[in-house]
Amino acid sequence: MGIKVLLIAFIGFGGGITVGSGLVALITVLGIVPRLMQLSKTYRFIRSYEISIILGAVLGGWMNLRNVAFSFPEVILAPIGLLAGVFVGMLAAALTEVLNVLPILAKRVGFGKKIIIILMAIVFGKITGSLFHWIYYINH
Amino acid sequence: MDRVIYLRMRQRVQVLQHQKVTIGEVAQIVASDENERNIKGYIIHEVTPEDKHLIVIDVMRVIGTIQKKNPGMDVQTIGPAQTILEIQMKQKTLAPVYFVLVWLLLFTGSALAIMNFHEDVSMQLVHQKIYYMITGHYKEQPLLLQVPYSFGLGLGMILFFNHLFRKRLNEEPSPLEVEMFNYQQDLDQYVIVHENKETEKKINGN
Repeated sequence: MGIKVLLIAFIGFGGGITVGSGLVALITVLGIVPRLMQLSKTYRFIRSYEISIILGAVLGGWMNLRNVAFSFPEVILAPIGLLAGVFVGMLAAALTEVLNVLPILAKRVGFGKKIIIILMAIVFGKITGSLFHWIYYINH
Repeated sequence: MDRVIYLRMRQRVQVLQHQKVTIGEVAQIVASDENERNIKGYIIHEVTPEDKHLIVIDVMRVIGTIQKKNPGMDVQTIGPAQTILEIQMKQKTLAPVYFVLVWLLLFTGSALAIMNFHEDVSMQLVHQKIYYMITGHYKEQPLLLQVPYSFGLGLGMILFFNHLFRKRLNEEPSPLEVEMFNYQQDLDQYVIVHENKETEKKINGN
């Protein structure tokens, strides 16, 4: 009995370490935190940002596994949704950048300076696709 | 002292068809006034229709030209060893149809990609769960969460590339500009090695 508990705890702990370091590795590779610090000129708060990521991951994981439910008013979902969207949008942008898609495309198509137009096509595509998905696609 | 000139090749120079390219255009020169004026005027290359889009001028060729006209001149070179001449073709105007097609392709493509991503990670279930965790009720379609999320997606992308708040936030180059620069450098490096006949020697002499 005792050995079983220890073993389960050990497996769970090991799994947690792997997933946690994977998450950190992903965020690091995509360089979202440095980018945010550069934009807001807050390099000195890097430690707090680390803590924020760790707390967020632990809290999210815990609430998800334990099925915790609060009874907050519905309205606060809007800012949560916006923040989640901005984060996923930055992830998508970082991924596009890692793959070097935009510079090559701009050069091939001959847009050169007008790369912002290409960017806007992708941005509006993402917004439209996402809205279409939630409002229409889901119900059909 | 009069016999020394300092020379630094420029990185990239735009030229026109049939232009006679002078040394002053492909390189920066520091020398005594008279030498400087003379040397800057020497013609190093004449652009002909047979030239390809890019021409590489090696520093050795520049030194050769200078030495031929001023034997014994001491040429000190600094910086890059070659200049890339980019022939400016007549400005190609992008056909509007072509442009609209590319725009629509990217638009549709990214819309499809984000939908695939949402399905792939079961985003609907996650959103339902978040709705439940916050409010304590279950809702089939938590649009209050999902609509701001969708706009946030676009905002996040713009924020990452820093196109909107350029002046207000800071003047550092955006990752996209750095990426464009790196790509251009790689292309230049390729051209320098492959378009420059002098840098490659093959066994049979061609």
